[in-house]
Amino acid sequence: MLLTEVQSLDIISVNIWQILISLINLLLLFLIIKKFLFKPVQNMLAKRKASIDADYEEAAEMKKAAAESEKAWNMKLEGAQAASDAIIDEAKRSAKHRSDEIIAAANDKAAGIIRRAENDAELEKKKAQATIRDEIIDVSTMLTEKMLSREINEEDHRELISSFIDGIGEDDGHDS
Amino acid sequence: MEVKKKKDLKFILTDILLLIGMLLPIAAGLVLKVLTEPASEGISITGANVYFTIKMPIQDLPISEAQVNSVIVVLSVFFLCLFLTHGIKERPDSIRQHIAEYIVEQVSSLVSGNMGERFSMFAPFVAAIMGISVFSSLLTLVGLFPPTSDINITAGWAILVFILITHYKLKCGPIYYLKGFAEPIPLFAPLNVIGEIATPVSMAFRHYGNVLSGSVISVLVAAALQGLSAKLLSWLPGALAGFPLFQIGLPAVLSIYFDVFSGCLQAFIFAMLTMLYISNGFPEEDYIARQRRKDEKKRRAMAIQAKLDAKN
Repeated sequence: MLLTEVQSLDIISVNIWQILISLINLLLLFLIIKKFLFKPVQNMLAKRKASIDADYEEAAEMKKAAAESEKAWNMKLEGAQAASDAIIDEAKRSAKHRSDEIIAAANDKAAGIIRRAENDAELEKKKAQATIRDEIIDVSTMLTEKMLSREINEEDHRELISSFIDGIGEDDGHDS
Repeated sequence: MEVKKKKDLKFILTDILLLIGMLLPIAAGLVLKVLTEPASEGISITGANVYFTIKMPIQDLPISEAQVNSVIVVLSVFFLCLFLTHGIKERPDSIRQHIAEYIVEQVSSLVSGNMGERFSMFAPFVAAIMGISVFSSLLTLVGLFPPTSDINITAGWAILVFILITHYKLKCGPIYYLKGFAEPIPLFAPLNVIGEIATPVSMAFRHYGNVLSGSVISVLVAAALQGLSAKLLSWLPGALAGFPLFQIGLPAVLSIYFDVFSGCLQAFIFAMLTMLYISNGFPEEDYIARQRRKDEKKRRAMAIQAKLDAKN
């Protein structure tokens, strides 16, 4: 569409309809900008603000919860410390008790062993003394029999020597 | 993965469509201009070219470049808005979202700073005024007729602003509004009326005059420079004689001042004046007092009603 005759307006040419159209254009653009620029951006900003607020709230709650659990853990830790101390004390005490018992038992046992050994030794000694006395008596009896032949009654001599050696044995027993 | 890719493709296609929507009106305007441009004969300073005329009641409506170009601006800004807010997210990952947020926040803070929180809903309107004014003036950069150098366009905006001013002045009732003209003494009433009317007229003419004067000066300077180079280089042989030596740098500098700087400045001034006139026209204290009186009256009426009901 090539217009050969294009007219131009004057520099100033007031036209009511043009003014009206321009006014409506501005109103239209206002509505466009409000609906398609401001509304989405403001909605988005509101959403962003809400999500940031939510994040902050959540963070504050988490902080609170963390502090609470820290406190609880600290308390638990203190309790555990005390409990472990008690356990160690108890263990120490019971161990000492037990070791005392063991030592006491061992001492008793040792004393018993020693006593028995002493008794045995005593017995052996006595037995040995008796045997030796008997033998001495026999030997001396034989000697005296040989020396004195039948003059002396065997029974009397045995009595005599036995009493004599008893005296010696008793003396020896006291000495040893 | 595939679904995401498909979505991306759709996103990109929408983007391209929006960009086309943004640029197509301007391209169409350029084509129209090229097709209808009358052969220029020297310097001619006229208004907008008229494409055709519609018969209308009071006055015929000539559909001129100014009309077409302002529709182009509205369409382009519409698609620009769609483009800027396309794929908007709580966590921004695109530059355009930052731009959109920046525009919204800047205009909102400008409006609340100049008009107060009560008028914060004016932010889109102020943004619309700035947008339509800036883009109308900047159409000269692509060679189109700037609608702001047509008095009818700026007059339409100024009248809309005047309607808003009057609306807010009437918030305290028509009697209060009429009383405002008789201040400080009733003798000043005619002057006050003239002052009232002068507001939109001055706004319209200021904007229109600035843009038009820029165009006029640009045309005059270009013509003068052409003449100067023709005079100085006429002794050269052949095509060199017509070499536009002085037209090389200076018109560009003038264009930056008159088209870009002046266009933006006038848009800003128009928006500032709109904000100031509207917020100054609104008698806030009297309005609050009046609201309180009204509430009081209503409460009293309700109390009386309640008493009557109790009696019955």
